[in-house]
Amino acid sequence: MFSDLIFRNSSRSRKENGLFFSSLVISIVAFYMILSLSKQDVMVFLRKMESDAVNQLLLMILVFYGITLGILFFLIYFACKYQLECRRKEFGVYLIMGMRRSKFFTMLLAEDFLSSILALAIGLPAAVLLSELISLITAKLVGIGIMGHQFTFSFSAIGFTITGFLAIKLAAFLALSSEISRQEIGALLTGSSENEKRQRPAAFYGICTVVGIMMLAAAYIMAAQRRTWHKADKIFVTLLLGLLGTILLFYGIRVVIAFLVKVKKADQRLHVFTFRQIQENVIHQFASMAVSSLLILMAVCCFGAGIGMANANQQAGTHVLDYTFSDKFTENPQEVLPRLQTVLKENGLDSQFSQLFEMRIGYARATENYHNVFQMDSVMESLRSLDQSEDRDVLLNNLSYVDAPHLICLSDYNRLLKAAGKPALTLAANEAAVYQDPDFMSASRTAMLNKILSANPQVMLDGNFLYLTGESQSVDLVTDRSITLLFALILPDEQFLYYTKGTYGVYINGIMNQAPLKSSSLITAISDLNTRLDGIGFQDMGIEYESYLQNMSRQLFYMVAASYITIYLAIIFLVVANTIIGVQFLMNQQKTGRRYQTLVHLGATYKNLCTSARKQIIWFMGFPVAVASVSSFFGVKALFSGLISSKMQGTQGEMLMVFAAMIFVLCVVEYLYMTVIKRSSDRYLLTLMQPQREE
Amino acid sequence: MEPILNIENVSKTFGNVPNQTKALDKITFQVMPGEFLGIMGSSGSGKSTLLNCIATVMKPTSGSIVIEGKKLHTLNGKALAEYRGQTVGYLFQNFELLDNLTGGENILLPTSLHNMIQKEGYLRMKQLAEYLEITDVLDKFPTQMSGGQCQRVAVARAMILHPKLLLADEPTGALDSKNAKNIMEKLSGLNRDEEATILMVTHDSNTASFCKRILFIQDGVIFHELRRGDESQQDFYQRILKVVAQLGGGSCNVL
Repeated sequence: MFSDLIFRNSSRSRKENGLFFSSLVISIVAFYMILSLSKQDVMVFLRKMESDAVNQLLLMILVFYGITLGILFFLIYFACKYQLECRRKEFGVYLIMGMRRSKFFTMLLAEDFLSSILALAIGLPAAVLLSELISLITAKLVGIGIMGHQFTFSFSAIGFTITGFLAIKLAAFLALSSEISRQEIGALLTGSSENEKRQRPAAFYGICTVVGIMMLAAAYIMAAQRRTWHKADKIFVTLLLGLLGTILLFYGIRVVIAFLVKVKKADQRLHVFTFRQIQENVIHQFASMAVSSLLILMAVCCFGAGIGMANANQQAGTHVLDYTFSDKFTENPQEVLPRLQTVLKENGLDSQFSQLFEMRIGYARATENYHNVFQMDSVMESLRSLDQSEDRDVLLNNLSYVDAPHLICLSDYNRLLKAAGKPALTLAANEAAVYQDPDFMSASRTAMLNKILSANPQVMLDGNFLYLTGESQSVDLVTDRSITLLFALILPDEQFLYYTKGTYGVYINGIMNQAPLKSSSLITAISDLNTRLDGIGFQDMGIEYESYLQNMSRQLFYMVAASYITIYLAIIFLVVANTIIGVQFLMNQQKTGRRYQTLVHLGATYKNLCTSARKQIIWFMGFPVAVASVSSFFGVKALFSGLISSKMQGTQGEMLMVFAAMIFVLCVVEYLYMTVIKRSSDRYLLTLMQPQREE
Repeated sequence: MEPILNIENVSKTFGNVPNQTKALDKITFQVMPGEFLGIMGSSGSGKSTLLNCIATVMKPTSGSIVIEGKKLHTLNGKALAEYRGQTVGYLFQNFELLDNLTGGENILLPTSLHNMIQKEGYLRMKQLAEYLEITDVLDKFPTQMSGGQCQRVAVARAMILHPKLLLADEPTGALDSKNAKNIMEKLSGLNRDEEATILMVTHDSNTASFCKRILFIQDGVIFHELRRGDESQQDFYQRILKVVAQLGGGSCNVL
């Protein structure tokens, strides 16, 4: 009998509060997904390449897991609190009928446990399947190959998920049930425990709204300034202003809603009722509305950060070269390429490469002043004459150190350009082109430098005048990181040999034959070739090599890590924000169900009620989303200007694109949530359409 | 003169075959325009069931209820909503004011549901508020009003659309005697001055003494009827008391 009661109550709670139950299932799926990241094919593969970074990431995941457990605790606490509030009368009846408090407590615990177990039973298999699916899809997308894929089942992830989930549920339950079971039966039987909150004069709320908006505006202005993000105290002030501003805005906004109640709209049925309902919700739930708005803002920023970071690493250069070799033993630079070719041929590996070419890089071997061999005063002058900006200052600072630049041989660079499918450079004997590694440049700084270069400024190299010409070059000279140049000059071959006096370094770049690539992915092809190269014993011959695999796996790592963590956090934040606010609306609707019944008595149709409730949902949920959207514009701007890699700075177009994409995703998610809540509300209102007999 | 409400052979049965309870048993009566009819009976006599059937809260098992030529069981959807709001006004024992709306907003609520011209609605509210002496609570919320004020606001809300019939379910049930008397005087006034037709359910003899005619109902059947005629309210009250006393002694002693 007792167990029947538990089963019935538990199933009724799930039915009445399906939204909350589904959110719990989503959280379980998210927990497992993030915790089982180490078993994903991509991560298993990356572990071989970037083991340190992967291990650090996995450590960080535990921290994120801890944080999200905390956030989820509040969701469970609030949602359960409303659920229990609605059942106060029922609890009172149990107790007055003689149920002992310990039994009552056991009943609540058992009900809660049953729901938790069911959520785990649905969530975990779904999570395992989804995780496998994502593992296969990402493996296929990045081309690791899925032949070796094995079904993985992370016991530790399951363990952590179950433990964490049950622990926060139990903690929330203990906190709530002790509150309920301590109350007197009389208090429980009278139903609502909500005390009427004392209202202050409208002017007070008006001032709060204005102050809130001003604080938000100040936070937005500070967030948009790049310098803010370089100082901890300014970051703290910005965040504090944003936080307080949001809370004050939601606290004071009731005055705006009160104004909307008074706005006469003759054609709108139940206008006053609808806005009074919204006003009541805003008065009682302003804190959770503010928290939800902040969580949505965090979710959008997480998405933005994820995309930004993934993009920043993807932009690290187009893929041209597959291998770069260097030779430590050969003294004469002209013998490096023939020696490598011989070694490869001897081992039958020459056919693997469609091209092998030199990349000669050296210094100007000055006759006198070795360290001050290069002056570009005219360039610096032109820069100084520009309006003061952060880009100009960075350029001025970077270029002021350039007094002995690297020199690059034009024919080698043209070969690289040809491989990259770009037009070759032509330079006269007294001309040079500027080379800068993309790592050091942003789009705006490159544009600034190009503008100066278009005037063909005169510079001095080892006592000779040269004219800088063309646009700044930035095609990667080597596959990965054998050499990274802040500033170099590309010189015609004769001039290169003249200035370097025949002493220079040589990197041999290799491009793989396309034939083996047809049958397998690039990653597998390079991995296979690496194994064969390692087998030759290059180390002993003094030949070192780097392959595009390192470059690729680094990019892949950042992409996977950034997208996984940020999407995980964003999902959790969005789920929590929407569930808190949705559950509160639905519970409040049930609490005020009698009002809807009165409306039915007064002649309201089902359609009238649904229209009013739907409008309430749009306002109640839409308001936090609208505030979050405005804030997130500045949030994403701040991310791009201050927090993410300097390469992304100044790319306004990119920022707007990301922002638009984020808002689109947000709109879709919110639309889905609102639809679910509107449907629940419609269903509930339908039950009220048949007025019950009351004596 | 055509009756406003015509109830013929209305029966209502609750429960299934072996445990059936007959709440109403072939009840027949009429309400004429401008009448103030009371329905009295003890708890469980079926008086609230009857009111609920007229208010379309529940459907009778058999029989017909016709209001202004419209058969209630044929109404549905929009017509039913219009009937609930415009043809009948409903006065609840517990007022059922929306506590997040001010008095004025509560009164105007039906006008927004039934597309009454706004200006007309305001004029009607002003007129009713003055008559019911609630002008000073129009901007207050129900929690800031006394029980009597709440019920008077509820009367104004029920009357705002000039309903053909006002249904009142124990309107003084939640009020003290002073406020109860006040509200009944107001209802009588509306019946007298506006010729409002009122059908009131009550078990309180004092409240019932304000009516012009009273139907006594017991075990689902009408077993007695009192008409006030020209006698004073006090005399009518004494007659009601007599019937109620007899009613307590069992239906066989009555008549």
